[in-house]
Amino acid sequence: MPRRGRDRVVAHFAETGGPARASLAGRCYPRRAMAAVDSRGEVLDVQALPLPYFLLRVRVAGMAAAAPGQFVMVAGADRPEPYLRRAFSVYDQEAAADGSLVISLLGKVIGRGTAALAACVPGERIPVLGPLGTGFHSVERGGPGIGRAALVAGGIGSAGLGLLAQALERAGRPFDFFYGGRSAEDLVEAETFRRLSESAAGRLIATTEDGSAGERGLITAPLEAALGNRDAGYTTVCTCGPHGLMAAVARIAAAGGVGGEAATETPMGCGYGACLGCAVTLSDGGYALCCRQGPVFGLDEVAW
Amino acid sequence: MSGVAAADVPGAAVAAAPDLSTRVGPLRLRNPILTASGTFGYGLEFAERADLRRLGGLVTKGLSLEPLAGNPPVRIAETRGGMLNSIGLQNIGVDRFLGDVLPGLKDLPPKVIVNLFGYARDDYVRLAERVDPHEGVAAVELNVSCPNVSKGGIEFGHDPEILSGLVRRVRSATGKPIVVKLSPNVTSPQALGEAAKAGGADVLSAVNTFVGMAIDTATRRPVLSTVRGGLSGPAIKPLALRIVFDVARAVDLPVIGIGGIETVDDVLEFLLAGASAVQVGTALFRDPRTAERLVDGLRERMEAESIPSIGSLIGAAARPE
Repeated sequence: MPRRGRDRVVAHFAETGGPARASLAGRCYPRRAMAAVDSRGEVLDVQALPLPYFLLRVRVAGMAAAAPGQFVMVAGADRPEPYLRRAFSVYDQEAAADGSLVISLLGKVIGRGTAALAACVPGERIPVLGPLGTGFHSVERGGPGIGRAALVAGGIGSAGLGLLAQALERAGRPFDFFYGGRSAEDLVEAETFRRLSESAAGRLIATTEDGSAGERGLITAPLEAALGNRDAGYTTVCTCGPHGLMAAVARIAAAGGVGGEAATETPMGCGYGACLGCAVTLSDGGYALCCRQGPVFGLDEVAW
Repeated sequence: MSGVAAADVPGAAVAAAPDLSTRVGPLRLRNPILTASGTFGYGLEFAERADLRRLGGLVTKGLSLEPLAGNPPVRIAETRGGMLNSIGLQNIGVDRFLGDVLPGLKDLPPKVIVNLFGYARDDYVRLAERVDPHEGVAAVELNVSCPNVSKGGIEFGHDPEILSGLVRRVRSATGKPIVVKLSPNVTSPQALGEAAKAGGADVLSAVNTFVGMAIDTATRRPVLSTVRGGLSGPAIKPLALRIVFDVARAVDLPVIGIGGIETVDDVLEFLLAGASAVQVGTALFRDPRTAERLVDGLRERMEAESIPSIGSLIGAAARPE
């Protein structure tokens, strides 16, 4: 393959993402598309969590470790339906002794695709394409001691913040984890995030709408109070959850003078930039692809 | 070649390697598997995901004179056996394609077919003029049937007189083979195929997506921002196959079959219905390597069933027994 032509195209997409991406031109994208494997992963186990949640562990040979916020496209094994693969954040990962990568996908059964994945059995081989997308920049931007991060998850959105919380903890960067849900079972990984945040000189703040765990109410209330307190020293907010929550987080962060990022979610056809179906509307009116330029965007880049 | 026919050697399969090449009007393809417009970008971006050297050809994302940003979200909705899309022809524009992308594509084995899309007849003419001098372009495919642009090409693909006039104008602007992509959303695709032929088309491709819609029962609103979108995937295969069968019999032009193709049997069905080649689309979203797998699978099937050539299959289902 003539390298020059191909490199120019890859660079073109990496730098501009197409015609409507002027506002993101200054961002630091990888120079070339991240090498992703497209292979069959071996299901190790499906851990039943409080319904409708599950944790699926898959061993994938040759897969590179995901950066915080990156995702994979997966489907149940050889099932004709649903037709398209589903996008899942890599929630946790571990290099196995044989050089393969074991990824953990934290899921919630909401339709046919997620139901098929929850029904996987150990030993089954399922298609896995990844890691895909552009992850959080928060870790590389802030070194140890630069400031405090607020991680804000709504329910299953916590899956998108798992690797980030680990990376911050490893980097010695303090963070608090704001975890909101309708009721206690939606805070499915509360103990994991409590442990990580406490190990990173922070704490877990939980709310539920029915008051069955944590404070009764929305997670935006304690977040607003925290960011309103300048002495608390927050410099970054990273969020993943329902659209309404992320929109509120963007507003609260802006009011508090704090920047940040959101791991967005849209319906996806392919996950790798071919179908152009996963458009996210930007604050300048243009569109970006969730799967390629995202899923992580600056809070101020998205038209919420 | 030994000169000894397989049948003369008991118990031994000495069949010659099957010939996968196919002639599609003026186009000579090394195999009948192409990627459909809008499902594989401009080819090069996905070189890591799929080995595009193995394809018979690739059809680019629809190109317009100016770059287009596409439709607002939500742009896609999965349905049983397929998906609806309303991308809105997001593309980098013809000049950027010719300058930045084509140089990397033109020396690869697959034939490059450039899909063109305009809002007005003159747009198509100007697009054809831009593409005409580029040797790396094997043919142009006219998108006269996209359901996702409000004032778009769909009118051209729905009126025989307008279509033949459009093709005639493009014919005068380029010496490249012209492929006209037919809409399934008409009473008689054959009539539109005849009109394209009258205007000077060399090849027909059939079909584009079927207009459909989906409604979110929770919000009670249409899922797609544009309400209607184009249905693709296995769900449309029998519908597309019928149209290819009818068009191939009615119009004296070669046909490229499109519509829900994912398996070797799908490919064979379209060839038997009268297609000289096929385009693979939505199946690439499910598995980016579908097209190259079909090349391998088709060769294996032809070996296993002693099918000597693609030509021996084309239109066989339409011939009297």
